[in-house]
This record gives sequence, structure tokens and C-alpha cells, in this order.
Amino acid sequence: MADLSQLLINGLAIGSVYALAAIGFVIVYSATGVVNFAAGQFVMFGTFAGVAMLINARLPWPSGYGAALAAMALFGALFFFVVYLPLRKSPIVTIIVATVAVGITMQNVALLTFGSWPFRLPSPVEGWTVTIAGTVVPAHFVAVIVVTAVMVGLLWLLFYRTPVGIGMRAVAQDIQAARLMGLKVNRLLALSWILAALLAGVAGLMLGPIWFADVNMGDPIALKAFAATIIGGFGSLPGAIVGGMFVGLSEVLGASYVSSAYKDLISFGIMIGFLLVRPQGVFGERIQDRG
Amino acid sequence: MHKGEAMVLTRKSFLKAMLAAAAAPCAVSAYAQQNGPILIGATVPITGPLSLTGKQYYNSLLMAEEDINKAGGINGKDIKIVFEDTQASNSTAVNAFVKLAQETKPVFYFLSSYSTQNLAVSPELKKVQVPAMYAGGADVVAEGGNEWMFRIRPADSVSAAGMVQCALTVLKAKKPGILYIQNDFGQGGAQTSAKRFKAAGVSVVGMEAYGQNDKDFSAQLLSLRGKGADVILIFDYPQDGALVLRQAKMLGLTTPLVTSSAALVPAALQLLSPADLDNVWGVVDTFMDPSVGGRMKHFVERYKAKFGTDADPYGLAYYDGAMLMAEGMRKVGTDPNALRAWLAAVKNWQGIGHVYTFDDKGNGVHDVAIVKAKPGTKALELVQTVNFNSAGPL
Repeated sequence: MADLSQLLINGLAIGSVYALAAIGFVIVYSATGVVNFAAGQFVMFGTFAGVAMLINARLPWPSGYGAALAAMALFGALFFFVVYLPLRKSPIVTIIVATVAVGITMQNVALLTFGSWPFRLPSPVEGWTVTIAGTVVPAHFVAVIVVTAVMVGLLWLLFYRTPVGIGMRAVAQDIQAARLMGLKVNRLLALSWILAALLAGVAGLMLGPIWFADVNMGDPIALKAFAATIIGGFGSLPGAIVGGMFVGLSEVLGASYVSSAYKDLISFGIMIGFLLVRPQGVFGERIQDRG
Repeated sequence: MHKGEAMVLTRKSFLKAMLAAAAAPCAVSAYAQQNGPILIGATVPITGPLSLTGKQYYNSLLMAEEDINKAGGINGKDIKIVFEDTQASNSTAVNAFVKLAQETKPVFYFLSSYSTQNLAVSPELKKVQVPAMYAGGADVVAEGGNEWMFRIRPADSVSAAGMVQCALTVLKAKKPGILYIQNDFGQGGAQTSAKRFKAAGVSVVGMEAYGQNDKDFSAQLLSLRGKGADVILIFDYPQDGALVLRQAKMLGLTTPLVTSSAALVPAALQLLSPADLDNVWGVVDTFMDPSVGGRMKHFVERYKAKFGTDADPYGLAYYDGAMLMAEGMRKVGTDPNALRAWLAAVKNWQGIGHVYTFDDKGNGVHDVAIVKAKPGTKALELVQTVNFNSAGPL
């Protein structure tokens, strides 16, 4: 029993990080129709923003995290102006290919800047653990789950209780109609990229102390976030959260109760199953239902 | 010739120009081989995740090149090591090798320390018939029977035997468990260990695997704990090895852990705290510490001063290998067949890290060291050296 609750805690913590990365995916996809294949590298940049501020610049925790997230927001804006805006009238596939190219560039920029050795990004609650009935709960894992829940709550407030968020949803539903209604579409699209980068930044800062900060960490995250998005439903925020948790739990529980050798096969097998049987995922809507 | 004729490109002149262009690299290479330094090829992971160890032997090969040339080169002729990056891919490793073989035509090669890359390159090496040293540990590389390949690190069966010895004699294990990375190295090491435990009359309570890109090992560690493992052997690479040790600590695991060498190289150690190394033993290729004294002290201190990082056994293996190669070239020249035969006959050659003796499969190293971190620090201390030279076949 202690082992099961230990696995559940670990699965939920890693699933929370996948969920944040998946939400970044969904926000960009919903607003722009672009599948951001650099999403994993966005998270990697988030972790290295933490390395730059907390380890290199030796900033204290609050200002270090703040500066890292500000840097990520700036990066999101930069991505919008330098990559998305010039290509916005190109076919979607061109923009998607551009995200692949940018992802490779980001990885190499990180490699040139930080080198190939990984870093140990510390957590503000490093070494703190709580033992409940034999289950060791690292405080950082609790922090990850709580921060994800807070982020999801804030996103809900943004999208359903603020004019900016409602505008972003309008742009996501019908960009032409949103423009005709007088919404500043470009500004809202820029905000989508900034939001995606910020979420990736939070995911990266949360992930750094669990994994190590490593320039190659982006691809595995992107794959898991992608699987989470497909399982939860492409374009659905609740789907991204549920999908992320599901992937995190399935890989930990699958490795423990089925086979550690085939744990990736389990989550990706389920993803393929969804693509075959229910391609819109758990919460996603079929494309024709959008209209 | 009329004034305008100089501008006319006939088919004949075009073909001549193309032929000349195609032949130029060969001519330049042949000229360089005769008049320039002796060219040595090195296919090394300089970028990507495998560069954690790759950079070590990149550095130590540079140091060896400098030392060999300072000592008069090969009978008065300098050597030059030409590097190609293998990254973390077998196909890139093959391309890197083929590029060197076609353009540079080295008289000797150093291949990477990753068995899967060694296996991929082996057929190409067989085609060019030039001796090479490699450091991948998988036994299957040597079992392939490529007479041009010489291993300058312990084979995985030797490391596994050392880990089993640590579990049985140092930690008195009765119910060992095994965690391994799912590739040729990990699977080979795990299977060899299981066989050796069985031969010693000890049953392995569980064997768990993980993928090369995995980041969470809690399921595997808890499963082994649940099965009652009193020692866990871990076959790992540097980064995942460090992560396993760290997560074991986060899970509150008190079972002693015996890791393979990769988790204790400097690139991995810098990711760990002294607390993470509590209750951890390691089986490393060689114990590298200035306290050993002599040439080891000199090498360790000089490497640190030159490159700003601590040397690791992988780097030292290539440094020793380069020195051995140089001695062979001084004695029998650079003829591939003569050099291959000389290397195959090497017995008890005293390197810095090991005493090298090549067996009939090209394995040159037959000893490992059991180490442990000094309490409260990350400095390793020697527990015992395990030598399989006289133990017969593993």
C-alpha cells in the first residue's frame, strides 16, 4: 500500500509537469492552429532560465524565479514577432516546420551557452520530505502538484472571467469574426505565445529539481506532452490536464505493475489506441463540431 | 587561340576539371601522409548527451598528442589526431568513421566508448583494415571477432564480475536485485551478473530495466525494495545513474546500491550531493586520485589544470591507449598489419590506469576497483582492487 501511494505521488508530480507542457501546446494550437513542435525546448529553456538566474546570477529564490519567468515571457513575445508573425499568412505546415527548426536552434543555443554537462537546479524546498505511513513525500513534489493546480485555476479565471481571456477564446474559435468584432487579434495571438512560454517556464522550473537541467531534456517532455494532448483531446484545456496526469500515472504504475521494460509502450500504446478509436481524445471536440 | 576561346568550356575540359577536383583530396591526403604528421583518426561524441564522457577522451587524446609530439613524436615524426563527432547516434558514428577513412585515411583509429557505436562501426573498420582502440564495454563487441579492434577498458563482464564481488564479499548480499539501462551494455551486464550470482548460489530477487531517456525510476526502485532486495546493482550511464542515486535517496531507500562506473565520473558526481552518495558503492575502471601518487597523480593534476575539470577513467583509458599506440608505432612503424600484430602480442604493458594485456579477443583490461565516497564528502576512496587476470575466463 505504501508503495502504491508512493507511486501515485510520483506519478501525479511528473504528470503535473506534463500537464503544464500540454496546456502550452493546447493554448497555441487553439489560438493559432499551429502544433508547436518546439514545446519541449520551451520547457528546456524554462529550466535553463532557472539555471541562469538561480545558479549563474545567484539571485535569491523569489527574484530568481520571477526573473526566469520574465525571461520566458520575453522569449514568447520574441517567438511571436520573429517566427509566427512573419509566417502567419503562410500555410500552417510552414509554421509547423518553422517550430521544428526553432526547436533545433534552441537546443543548440542552449548547448553553446551552457555546455553539455547537466546542471542540478535546486528546489526552494530541497531535501524536505514528509513520511506518511511509509510513503516518503518530497516537499517539492507537493509543490509541483499545488503550483499546477494554482496555474490551472488562474488560467480558468483568465479565460472565463477576464475580457482578455474571453477575447483569446474568441480568437481561438473564429479569428475573422473576432477581428470583425474589433478585437486586437495580433495582440491576443502574441499573448497566447507568451502564455505558452510562461507555462513552459513554470514546467521547466518545476522539472529542473526532479530531472537535471539538460539541453536534451526537451524531446522526451514534448513526446509525453503530445501523448497527453492526444489522450485528453487536442484543443481541450481539461483534456491537457487529465491527459498529463494520465501519462504520468500510467508510466509510473505501468512500470511497476506491468513491466518496466515496456513502460513507454504502455502510454504510447494508449495514445495510438485513442488515435484509432477516439481521435478527438477524452474531452476534445470533433473538428466539424467546432462550427 | 582566339581571344574568345578562353571562355569556352568544352565537355573534355569540364570532365578533366571534375576528375582533377575529385582526385585532389586523395592527392592531398597521400601527400600529407608522406610529408606531414602521422594522421590518427578519432571518432568521439563531442556533442549531444554522450559527450559527457566523450569530451573526456577528446581532451585526453589532445593531451596525449601533445605529450607524444613533445617526446619526439614517432621516431622524429609528429602525430596529428583528426576528430570527427559521433554525437549520440550510431549512423552518425558510421558516417564520421567513413568520412575519416575516405578523406583523411588515418593509420590508426580511436573509436568511441559506446558499445552500440562500436558495433555499428566494426564492419567499416574491417573493410579498411586499420587497427583501432575502443572503450565500449559490451562483450558482444569483442565476440564479433574483429581482429582490428582492441579494447582499452574493462569489458562489461569484468565490471559486472567486480560488482557481483562487491555485493557478495563487501556487502554480504543474500538477495540482490538488479536495475539496468535497456541497451547492449545494461542487458549484458545484468545477465552476466545474474549468472555469476547463480554460480555463487545466490538468487537474484528481481531485475528491472529502464529506457535511455527515462527520468523516473521510482517504480523500478520500489519494485526491487518490495521484492526484498538487500543490495541493488545498477548498470547505468552518467546522467541517468546520478538521477537513480538521487531518486533512491528521495524515496528514502536504505538498501545499499552498487553502481557501475558511469555514475561516479566527474560529470555525474557534480550532480550529486554527499548525502546522495551515502550507502553507495561503485565499481570503477580504475581508482583515480592524486593520493595514488606517481604517474596517476601527475596525470590527474595536469588534466585538471589544463581542462578545468577532473579527469575520469574513460579519458585515462584513451590517454593510455594513445601512449601504447605510440610505443607500437615507434617499434614496428605504421604498417597496419605489423601494428595490429604488435598490439595483439602486448603483455603486461604498464599504463597509468591499468596493466594492459590483450587476450585473443582484443580485451586489454582485466581489473576494476571497488570504491566508496568518504562519509560526508564526494571524494572517493578505494575499497579494494579486483583483478581477473589470473581468474581464467569470466
